[in-house]
Amino acid sequence: MKTHSVPSFQQESGRAYWRSLDALAETPEFRLWVEREFPEGASEWTDPVSRRQFTKIMSASFLLAGLGLAGGGCRRPVEKLEPFGKMPENYIHGLPQFYATAMPTQTSAIPLVAKSNDGRPTKLEGNALHPDSNGGTDRYAQATILNLYDPDRATRFLNGGKNAPAEAALDFLAQLSRNAQSNGGQGLSFLADRTSSPSRLRLQKLIQTKLPQSKWYAYEPVDLDLHRRAASQAFGQSVRPYYAFDKADVIVSLDCDFLGSEEDSHNHIAKFSSRRGIEKPSDSLNRLYVIESLMTVTGFNADHRLRVAGSAVLQAAAALAAEIIKQGAPNGLENAGKPAGADPAWLSGCAQDLLENRGKSLVVAGHRQPLAVHLLAHAINAALGNVGSTVMLLPVEQVAEQGIVELAQELNAGRVDTLFILGGNPAYNAPADLDWAKTQRKAKTVARLGYYEDETSTGCDWHFPAAHFLESWGDARTADGTLVPIQPLIAPLFGGLTDIEILARIAGAAVADPYSIVRETFAGFVGGGDLEASWRKFLHDGFLQNSSSKPVQAQLNTGAVSQSLAAMKVEAPTKDKLEVAFHRDYSLDDGRYNNNGWLQELPDPATKLVWDNAVLVSRKTAAELGVKNSEVVEISVGGRSVRGPIWVQPGLADYTLGLAFGYGRKQTGRVGTGTGFNAYAIRTSQTFGFAPGATLRSTGETYPLSCTQDHWSMEGRPIIREANLEQFRKKPRFAKGMEIEDGEEQRSMYPNPFDQLKEKGLHQWGMSIDLNRCVGCSACMVACQSENNVPIVGKEQVKRGREMHWLRIDRYYSGRPLAPKGTEQARVNFLETFHREQEQQFEDWIENPQVVTQPMLCQHCEAAPCENVCPVNATSHDQEGLNVMTYNRCVGTRYCSNNCPYKVRRFNYFDYNKRPLKELYLGPFGHRKDDEWDLIKMIKNPDVSVRMRGVMEKCTYCIQRIEQAKIAQKTRAGASGDVVVPTDSFTTACAQACPAGAIVFGNLKDPESRVSKLKQLDRDYSVLELLYTRPRTTYLARIRNPNPKMPDHYYSEGPSTLQEYDQKHADPFREEGAAAERGAESAGKGAH
Amino acid sequence: MAAGTTSIKPTQVVVPETPAELQRVPLVGNLRSFGWISNRVASLCEDKAPVWWWILFIPSALCLGMLLFMLSYQISTGVGVWGNRHPVMWAWDIVNFVWWIGIGHAGTLISAILFLLRQRWRTGVNRAAEAMTIFAVMCAGIYPAMHVGRVWYDWWLFPIPNANSIWPQFRSPLMWDVFAVSTYFTVSVLFWYMGLVPDLAVMRDRAKTRLRQFFYGLFALGWTGSNRHWSNYEKAYLILAGLSTPLVLSVHSIVSLDFSVSQLPGWHTTIFPPYFVAGAVFSGFGMVLTLLIPLRSIFKLEDLITMRHIDLMCKVTLATGSIVGYAYSMEFFIAWYSGNPNEQFHFLNRALGPYQWAWIPMVTCNVLVPQLFWFRAIRHNLFIVFIMSILVNVGMWFERFVIIVIGLHRDFLPSNWNYYHPTWVDIGTYVGTFGLFFTMFLLFIRFLPMIAISEVKGVTPQSDPHHPLGGAKVKEHTAQ
Repeated sequence: MKTHSVPSFQQESGRAYWRSLDALAETPEFRLWVEREFPEGASEWTDPVSRRQFTKIMSASFLLAGLGLAGGGCRRPVEKLEPFGKMPENYIHGLPQFYATAMPTQTSAIPLVAKSNDGRPTKLEGNALHPDSNGGTDRYAQATILNLYDPDRATRFLNGGKNAPAEAALDFLAQLSRNAQSNGGQGLSFLADRTSSPSRLRLQKLIQTKLPQSKWYAYEPVDLDLHRRAASQAFGQSVRPYYAFDKADVIVSLDCDFLGSEEDSHNHIAKFSSRRGIEKPSDSLNRLYVIESLMTVTGFNADHRLRVAGSAVLQAAAALAAEIIKQGAPNGLENAGKPAGADPAWLSGCAQDLLENRGKSLVVAGHRQPLAVHLLAHAINAALGNVGSTVMLLPVEQVAEQGIVELAQELNAGRVDTLFILGGNPAYNAPADLDWAKTQRKAKTVARLGYYEDETSTGCDWHFPAAHFLESWGDARTADGTLVPIQPLIAPLFGGLTDIEILARIAGAAVADPYSIVRETFAGFVGGGDLEASWRKFLHDGFLQNSSSKPVQAQLNTGAVSQSLAAMKVEAPTKDKLEVAFHRDYSLDDGRYNNNGWLQELPDPATKLVWDNAVLVSRKTAAELGVKNSEVVEISVGGRSVRGPIWVQPGLADYTLGLAFGYGRKQTGRVGTGTGFNAYAIRTSQTFGFAPGATLRSTGETYPLSCTQDHWSMEGRPIIREANLEQFRKKPRFAKGMEIEDGEEQRSMYPNPFDQLKEKGLHQWGMSIDLNRCVGCSACMVACQSENNVPIVGKEQVKRGREMHWLRIDRYYSGRPLAPKGTEQARVNFLETFHREQEQQFEDWIENPQVVTQPMLCQHCEAAPCENVCPVNATSHDQEGLNVMTYNRCVGTRYCSNNCPYKVRRFNYFDYNKRPLKELYLGPFGHRKDDEWDLIKMIKNPDVSVRMRGVMEKCTYCIQRIEQAKIAQKTRAGASGDVVVPTDSFTTACAQACPAGAIVFGNLKDPESRVSKLKQLDRDYSVLELLYTRPRTTYLARIRNPNPKMPDHYYSEGPSTLQEYDQKHADPFREEGAAAERGAESAGKGAH
Repeated sequence: MAAGTTSIKPTQVVVPETPAELQRVPLVGNLRSFGWISNRVASLCEDKAPVWWWILFIPSALCLGMLLFMLSYQISTGVGVWGNRHPVMWAWDIVNFVWWIGIGHAGTLISAILFLLRQRWRTGVNRAAEAMTIFAVMCAGIYPAMHVGRVWYDWWLFPIPNANSIWPQFRSPLMWDVFAVSTYFTVSVLFWYMGLVPDLAVMRDRAKTRLRQFFYGLFALGWTGSNRHWSNYEKAYLILAGLSTPLVLSVHSIVSLDFSVSQLPGWHTTIFPPYFVAGAVFSGFGMVLTLLIPLRSIFKLEDLITMRHIDLMCKVTLATGSIVGYAYSMEFFIAWYSGNPNEQFHFLNRALGPYQWAWIPMVTCNVLVPQLFWFRAIRHNLFIVFIMSILVNVGMWFERFVIIVIGLHRDFLPSNWNYYHPTWVDIGTYVGTFGLFFTMFLLFIRFLPMIAISEVKGVTPQSDPHHPLGGAKVKEHTAQ
């Protein structure tokens, strides 16, 4: 178990012993500590009585000073050292502590275990104890810790744009509360973002009772609450859907990016992937059909993907419904029309498959789609008997609320006296037709709780800094309804407040401190019993046992479906009436992570663009409009326009423009300033998901975009090996058969010295990556960045190919048409390989390609090509099989990188840690500001060196974790000598974060370890085995599961990467007897 | 025939006329006398510096200053100021290193190998070629020393005993480079200086100022021209020539191992050592021609660096250029014959890929252009030879660019593929090394005899005692 109990010297509150950074700097004790030459007590040591005291304090302060150095500037606790006079139980200096907490999301939460090094949280991991979690997380959860230490976050109370003392701000709240109590909340409105917090719900209800005249409005630019509203409407009671992707054999996504941008995607990935990790040929796989307009992570993983405009998804859904719902079909299905450009046979094949898997199938609709599509999905699920088996309906308690449109009407009517904005950033992301920045000012007083001083803050009378969830008490419910605590790891660095505290103060509640509020809510959950004991268990475990919601039975309300269909009208987009599809950004979400450098530099899983969004178009659309990559275009829709650079995205629906949210912020921090363009500028309350009737005009300007992967095709090389399920069943070891060089490894004249050395190692570390489980979500990349102090380098440097990610996700498109030798197509294919990367956007085959993804990191080769070329022995092998990198010894010849066939080594071209991104080229004249420095130092993992410029770095298999595990085992072993780390007792940061369980790390010497077993699987292969590097990281080949009855041709002949390979090399599925023949044939050809 | 006998007068000797087609063009034209040679060569360093010298020297010195600025900028700020990137981790730095070191091949080849092969024509050009070698190796040496991320730890590449018992990695070709280049540089300097000693004595004896007397005297090491001095000198020269000969072959072979020891398609080939040496000699002769063709006319040295010298150097260029061309075709053949798809792709990518613009001048300048040297008329047209000699080095620069950058920019995993551009610092540093080279070379021709006075005298007809005009038999020839 990773968690320890809370250090117990102040058990009850658990928060008084933390101090904020400001307080730390200002306390007289600290000043004294800094200014005095000797610690307190030292100068009094002549007094014999105080000598003991002196010794005690000196030893403690030296220990602390030592910790400070070792931690690279970690924050010194402000206590007068008493805590260390009486050592708290389970506290060991230098060892991190782990606390269970949770990250709140819109309608759910991610249960977490936070790592704390001497009082500062440094890393977040999923809480695997949670009943509905496998310990995986998403990108945002891994990166949010950087927001905690963001020097640009709101750090002060503001009144009318000027600094105000916290007392004054709290007085204002008290006044507001008194006024509201006196008039029942008349004229008081709240605009809040969404949360699943039961405490907030409780306070909301309290406010409704105490201030009945007050009004509550909820707004989220990415409307994930739609799922609840749709389910409630479809089933006529307040329920929300909970999808059991692990129980579904056939999944149909109606523009639903459930593996990427939907709520709880990490949870969906875990469940989806649990059905993809095929081990034996007899195992079954689920099958995923995706109907979508953009190229999403879910689309990557589709066994069949239908590319249609976002508006046509309704028609596709109607077509499916028409074939599936035989009895009591909703009215209006036939009026929907047929989706443009879609093969009717595709849809009926899909419908047939669903019908054959009644009760074991699942149809999901995405948040971008209108309510009608959601209702159709529910209708189909109900008709197939999936409700109750793959779709659970969980009851949800709802308080009356309205949306931002209604609030705008109220504001315009002058009926709002005081508007309290809790979170969110409506001035940036509210529908453009509301003209929010102005509308907001129509309230007499606007107060806001915000994490940043952003676009909305400027129009506020009062601004309260919000606390990060790692600084505040709170609670939330995960998707299955389980109650999870939000436990602070550190006191608010800048004295921020939380929404529940503010609501409690306004409601005039008896207790207004968040800790007590949360505890009170908790008490309501557990009822009687020993509250203290169950509370402590709750905090320790990070969830309340058996608190998940119980599914309810409900009947589909067909009338609601028919009603929603009647209102729908679909117009197919054309060249002159383009359709804009708005989407949640894979990195910045709705813009809340705009100032997060890790996420800004995290490549979009599909486009691989960083630091910017772009106008995504298909090749055909770009060709017809005469635009090409990086060309700045102006998109006009409904009288509003926005400018952005073009990016041709393979697999996008024609006449669709994909615009990601989150960029183009007017007022943000130093990281986010100047990135991308604001897609909200053309999004109105009427065109929330997609906007039809857009026109596009080239401005003639260009805007440079930074992309981390320039080349799209794998060029027929057997890097990612995949086959269809039937092919796999025919020849399970096909991946081995795709090796370029047949036969046994040639015996070298010079045996590798490592072969003898490795006999001595107690452990042999290795990794297995299941390409069939990996969906390409990129959580591992951020986890690695957070764990290993990997710096960001900025847009300009990424453009120069200098990103530092130790782990990257390679994404390839495949689908170049096959052609017999000598044909014109063969000539085109041949030449296209040699094109410059910029030419790919014009190539025909990218219209509708298949996508594969592959995490690529140091392969820890046993015969590592990097090692023998380093002139100073900076990279070498240890006896446990790690290719270790000695940063201190590296002089930076970069030869190792040149000789690394996987190119996974990263070079510090500049002092990325020491200099701000904009001043990299200033060399010694570039300096980070002090506020930035203080916070940057706090986030570093003290167990990993921070590298200076001129040094090569790369994945170490998280050697710090390996060493910690070994040391811990040595301590446990004592005299017994049993120093072998227990099987699978720890793992690397990437493997830990992976929700799919695709990355498995462990001891190869232990036959019981999961990695040893995975490496025995038929699908196991190593990349570039032809070089005999003998990598310790191997991959499990990808198996697709297409439906043989479907019309799309290449699915039936095997995945297109396999066909490309076949065209260049040989068919791995040829009969065994043909092997000799194949050799003769290739000799005849002179080459493969 | 002893000079003391009186029975035969020189004028009475009947020399049978050699048929015209068998007559060798003399290595010193116009039967120049010893005195003329001494005067002609020494006066170059004794007269007032000509205006053109200043015109060349000042920009060169400014370029050298720019080099210092570029290097300080790079060292203080980071290797990132250059354009190299993932996956092209080496670019102009190593391209220029290999290019300069290749240029540094001709000098020692001329002085050592041609000496051992008794190619007497070497004497006219060896001094300047050796100086060029030394300066080129200096330019080359800057790059491996400065291209690393942490220049201040360069000394870790030397096997210096230390408290940590950490030694360099002797399996690394970069380590071998350190030894190969430093040995080559040391031996080249020694060899060059050895040859200079008798000439420094000449300069000392002719010096008119105290300063010149002191410095030439200091470096002439008390040379008196006694028989013992000459005897020791000749032996030492022979030994150094013997030592340098393998170094000429080893230094570029080892530089080529930087590439061939690695795994990359296009780098990992056994053909590299001979191919690189041939290429180096090719570019070295190109540079010698580039430098000497203008110098011989400006300094009126046509009698010492004759058309025969030019002709012979053109022939060496043709021979080595053809070897290079053969190597190119063999690379393509082997790539196809090996059946290795990565190799095949690499070579096709050279010719058809995004860097086609670098491959075309490489083939043109290195394979096609030298073939013109088959024609005597071209070899004797100094203007064309001069242009072609420059093209040779342009071609050789592109060859290194093609090998390094094309090799790296598209290797095994297409996800890494990227395109490299240099930055202004790359260009500035490269131009700066020209500043260093020309500053050094211009100082050399100002202060040191750029032609080996004593050696050239040895190849004049009159220095051969068996020659009808040899020994002390004739009076000074005065046909001017």
